[in-house]
Amino acid sequence: MQTAHSSIELEQEKVIEEFSQFTDWSDKYEYLIDLGKALPALDEKYKTEFHLVKGCQSKVWLHAFVKENKLYLVADSDTVITKGIIALLIRVLNGQDILDIEKADLTFIEAIGLKSHLSPTRSNGLISMIQHIKSYARNLSITSQPEIASDPASQQALMIRQIKEVYDPEIPVDIWELGLIYTLGIDEHGKVQITMTLTSPACPVAGSLPLEVQEKLMQLPFVTDVELTLVWNPAWSKDRMSDEAKMALDMF
Amino acid sequence: MTTLSSGSSLLITDVTNIRKDFPILSRTIHDKPLVYLDNAASSQKPVQVLDSMDHYYRHTHANVHRGVHTLSQEATELFEASRRRIADFIGAPNEAEVIFTRGATESINLVAYTFGLSQLMEGDEIMLSEMEHHSNIVPWQIVCAMKKANIKVIPILDDGTLDMEWFERNLNAKTKLVAVTHVSNALGTINPVEEIIRLAHQQGIPVMLDGAQATPHMSINVKKLDVDFYAFSSHKMYGPTGMGVLYGKSSWLNLLPPWQGGGEMIAEVKWSGTTYNKLPFKYEAGTPDIAGAIGLAAACEYINQFDRDGMLQYEQALLTACTKAMESIPGVRTVGTAPHKASVYSFIIDGLHPYDIGTLLDQQGIAVRTGHHCTQPLMERFCIPGTVRASFAIYNTMEEIEKLVQATRKAIQILT
Repeated sequence: MQTAHSSIELEQEKVIEEFSQFTDWSDKYEYLIDLGKALPALDEKYKTEFHLVKGCQSKVWLHAFVKENKLYLVADSDTVITKGIIALLIRVLNGQDILDIEKADLTFIEAIGLKSHLSPTRSNGLISMIQHIKSYARNLSITSQPEIASDPASQQALMIRQIKEVYDPEIPVDIWELGLIYTLGIDEHGKVQITMTLTSPACPVAGSLPLEVQEKLMQLPFVTDVELTLVWNPAWSKDRMSDEAKMALDMF
Repeated sequence: MTTLSSGSSLLITDVTNIRKDFPILSRTIHDKPLVYLDNAASSQKPVQVLDSMDHYYRHTHANVHRGVHTLSQEATELFEASRRRIADFIGAPNEAEVIFTRGATESINLVAYTFGLSQLMEGDEIMLSEMEHHSNIVPWQIVCAMKKANIKVIPILDDGTLDMEWFERNLNAKTKLVAVTHVSNALGTINPVEEIIRLAHQQGIPVMLDGAQATPHMSINVKKLDVDFYAFSSHKMYGPTGMGVLYGKSSWLNLLPPWQGGGEMIAEVKWSGTTYNKLPFKYEAGTPDIAGAIGLAAACEYINQFDRDGMLQYEQALLTACTKAMESIPGVRTVGTAPHKASVYSFIIDGLHPYDIGTLLDQQGIAVRTGHHCTQPLMERFCIPGTVRASFAIYNTMEEIEKLVQATRKAIQILT
């Protein structure tokens, strides 16, 4: 892989220089679209809910894997402009050291005038894609130490940290502190068993929470599968919230 | 002051004057003049609306209804005069039937929670349509789940009109409310609301209309319509954001329970129980958006200065021209071909994603909306991920449509 030996910074500079040649917006977008079209199609087996990065306007599928502390990425999108930006991200990040990726400041996107594509209102999945990559790299960098990767207590702690990134819409407390997770365990093959509930069966927006929990857990390299069971019995009540959650919601 | 006659030969010069009322239209986007075609999402604001709100804050602001001091009385008078003007605008017989909300979404939620929770029993049905905005789906899903009631969905035909035969056939004793949109935000279809109301009322079923996309374009008369509830937003009809209205027949609003509790909506509060204020205050807990109401009233006045038929005809002329020109581009497919449409043009281009087209139109200064327009079930019905939507207001011009057409051709050329 050609990019494997150049640092992220160097590659970013190259991209910026290439784009500086374009004085007309249409030339820039034509180039981006060509990059998008040239991006190899993602193997259908990765075009699943698991690999789907949520976006409202467009879909992004991402598969990341690691070899000898270097992160490799394949990704796809249903829109060609998003694909073009993905191609640039892959060019800059693919095959880089996971520690470098975790720290990387992807300034090139702004420098080449494509920052608006990362705005949340675009809702095209690109921000989430970068967050996924970084989160994956961060988890890898921790778990690349073998003593952590195989230690059940560390694994549990890492799983909880991932779950704590998930929020019930409109409640400013993560779902772990809310007490939505009833049981959490992992077997020696890396298969996670988790039971959880939602604050109310009537809450339609919360329907996406289980999927989000699965996604977060799958970002952990030692997790091979997630079996999630949604239960209503016992029903969730405010008593299940941690003191920290009650404090955050001003319930004392 | 600009006026618009229905004589089409005068229109272009008049629109030049109308455009002067909207300061934002002189902006540039990516160094190109802004072509604002996202009016179904939110329209721009004329100086008359901006000035009314600015003037209020500078000279008349105080909290309403509770003060003996002069300023509070002046603010109250202005606020209540705004309510009267808005009531007139929609032909409401009684201004107490005009409830201020944050927008059409909150208006619908108000009906869902008060009507839904008090009137629905297990097994009852609410009838919605396949073309509803999520705002007129999700509140009913929440309330129906609480009451174990069911949602029935009026299907639409391929041209984007409601299947009225199905509707008539499926109204039944279990149907407790028909809640449909007056005009579809994604397709532009104008629904036969008179017929819907007539058929529902024949069986004693009340009707709620989501008028968010209707009030900017057509003259509304809730009394003539005999509609039970009518919800709309200020910001889509040249008024400020964060303001909306629920019109409800007083017979219903008096019967239904209050919704949000707080100041202003009470008559007397005791630990043993509280009695509620009369309409409209029963449904207006807390300090209202006074400036918003004043701005919306100014927007009603702004619209009223035009000959409403002429305004509608002009917007229809834009729609017709746009449809014809866009359909002449190879690969363009119009989504929503109902015979009666408001000035909303939704399209897709074979093999191209709406997001890509929207992005390249934006580069050329053209603001359109792409995506599912908060109508995912409708997009599913047409088996498409979304559309590109151009929607027109009174200040749009034929020249802008020509720009849209040219820009779309350029986008296709870049993408293929």
